[in-house]
Amino acid sequence: MSSLRAALLLGRKDARVLWRSPALIALLVGYPVVIALLVALVLQADERRPAVALVNLEDTEATVRVGDERLSIEDYTDRLEEEVDLLELDPEAARKALDEGRVVAVLTLPDGFIADLRSGLRPPKIILETDPRQPISGEAIQRRVESVVFQLNQGLAQGYVSNVLALVDLVVNGGELGVFGRSVEAIGLRRARDLVVDVQEELRADGQAARADRLDPIVTFIDGAAANLDLARPAASAISTPIELEVIEGDAGRNPLSSFGFAGALVASLGLAGALIGATTLSSERAENALVRLRRGLVTGPALVGEKIVFTALACLAIGLLLLVLVALVTALTIGRWGLWLPVLLVAGAAFGSFGALVGAAARDARTALLATVMIAMPLVAVGLVPNSPVASTAAAFVPFGPAFEAFQTLLVDPQVSGDLGWDVAHLAGLALAFGAAAVIALRLRDPAAG
Amino acid sequence: MTSGATLLTATGLGRRYGEFDALDGVDVTLARGDALALLGPNGAGKTTLLTMLAGVDRPTSGTLDWGGASVGWVPHRPALYSRLTTRENLVLFADLEGAGDPAARADELIEHADLGEYADRRAARLSTGTLQRLNLCVALAGRPDALLLDEPTSTLSADQRIRLWDWLEGLRDELDVALLFSTQSVDEARRQATSLMVLVGGRAAFSGAPAELAPGAERDAETAEQAFLDLVDGGAPA
Repeated sequence: MSSLRAALLLGRKDARVLWRSPALIALLVGYPVVIALLVALVLQADERRPAVALVNLEDTEATVRVGDERLSIEDYTDRLEEEVDLLELDPEAARKALDEGRVVAVLTLPDGFIADLRSGLRPPKIILETDPRQPISGEAIQRRVESVVFQLNQGLAQGYVSNVLALVDLVVNGGELGVFGRSVEAIGLRRARDLVVDVQEELRADGQAARADRLDPIVTFIDGAAANLDLARPAASAISTPIELEVIEGDAGRNPLSSFGFAGALVASLGLAGALIGATTLSSERAENALVRLRRGLVTGPALVGEKIVFTALACLAIGLLLLVLVALVTALTIGRWGLWLPVLLVAGAAFGSFGALVGAAARDARTALLATVMIAMPLVAVGLVPNSPVASTAAAFVPFGPAFEAFQTLLVDPQVSGDLGWDVAHLAGLALAFGAAAVIALRLRDPAAG
Repeated sequence: MTSGATLLTATGLGRRYGEFDALDGVDVTLARGDALALLGPNGAGKTTLLTMLAGVDRPTSGTLDWGGASVGWVPHRPALYSRLTTRENLVLFADLEGAGDPAARADELIEHADLGEYADRRAARLSTGTLQRLNLCVALAGRPDALLLDEPTSTLSADQRIRLWDWLEGLRDELDVALLFSTQSVDEARRQATSLMVLVGGRAAFSGAPAELAPGAERDAETAEQAFLDLVDGGAPA
């Protein structure tokens, strides 16, 4: 009996046993499916725009001119609609919608908003009322409205600065100036200087050099004022935009929160399921007392452990594909290249299975193996997902959950798929071999005749 | 291999766990047709000896030679897959043991052990006696020359015990299979064995024919029991 044939027979037995264990199937398949779908739906819901009631008490025709632009209420609401779904309601209907939970907040533009903006005497106000029963949504809405108000303020500041700079330009270079509806010619500092210099030259020509010299301070003042006013331009720009945010789109494409979250959900659910399958299938050989027969030379230790790893890999492939199909059907997530998912799920499943097999081989009985797998895998999954310190990052490199997360994320997020995927798959394959070898040694230590 | 031919020769077998000698210098020989009983109290080394002879564990000292004979192993606790049926367990182990036609071998064993009624029932739903018969059948799947049984009747009722021994005697007679079994029952050892070994503290305190345990008292169970207890207590056999 070759080891390969023995492994195939035991693999067929494991499949049959699994098929006859509906509770185990429900746990191993249902749990990842439910968790992954919930996470994907929650994250997708988080990406959806919340509904906000808009109570506009302002005259919608009123506008204000800032710089070269003329702004109206519509400009504000258009900007807000980029962030939230606005439902324009009267105050009473808005209150009712908030009470009934149909909107998460009420945004009120009070009467006189544009007038205040136009006068500049007092800052115009936007009133935001959130639902206290939904503190998380309310907080999120507040952040989004603050962001919009910040952007509008920045736009206004730039408009005001443009106005000021136009005035500065008028003072320095001269031009048309509107006063009480009439247009007046302003000569500006530069032309004023030319005039003074011309007068000085005429006085000197008439032999009145002393008088001409008395005008020198005026020329000096005009030069200084013009030079300093020229500096106002960059200074004003700096005031209007002290810090500029430049957003660079990565070459790889997109990295939406839902894809990131689903990759995490896939690792958490599939990783735990795979580790449990690896641990239970191996430890059940001991629990069923079958190991005392198998280890009499019917199957070698490496073949037995290898069979459990391959069985887990195939189970993870089936569960993973089921998850992907369900998520593709019920969410808007882009799954990516299906052809690449096959080897990635297989290798990741093998790595999860070998990790579980090590626990299963080392544990005294099946219950201990189950408990130990959950207790060990859970924190390691977390470390794999968020390796936010050098120690955690190093630890994540030695367990399959981190590399699997990277590989899943690459497939979900990166439509081009870089060479990193190859490295992640090789990393997972290496971990599968290492944990598999450790499982064989653990099996031999606990059951000396095995292997 | 002809009847009476030696199947097993083990000399000076020992098994040490740390500082503890579970077995120390035990010699065993087994020939075709033999029924050797290992008798001893708990912790005497019976299971240790059997697991080494079965190849489940390795001796730390001594030599062990089965001379090419095949061995069937019947552990004390049934070693079966509880979610597989009687037939599926037999087919699987017959296949693993390299039986030519596993399905045919399974049917043969089912008929031989009168398990037809339970052929498609999962092992988890079998009674203790039926489970033990299946446990034995699995050990026979590879057509062994010798059958090693670790206290095969300890969990059975009196009628189940009688039926099992009837079947085992049939196996011995029909298939010329050698039996090596452990038991804590002096009476069972005397009735079923052709030879007997008493293990005490990992050492063989007695080895010989059952009649030699209590000479002149072949039919006197009480005397044989007393002779065994004397051996356990360190005295000479009666």
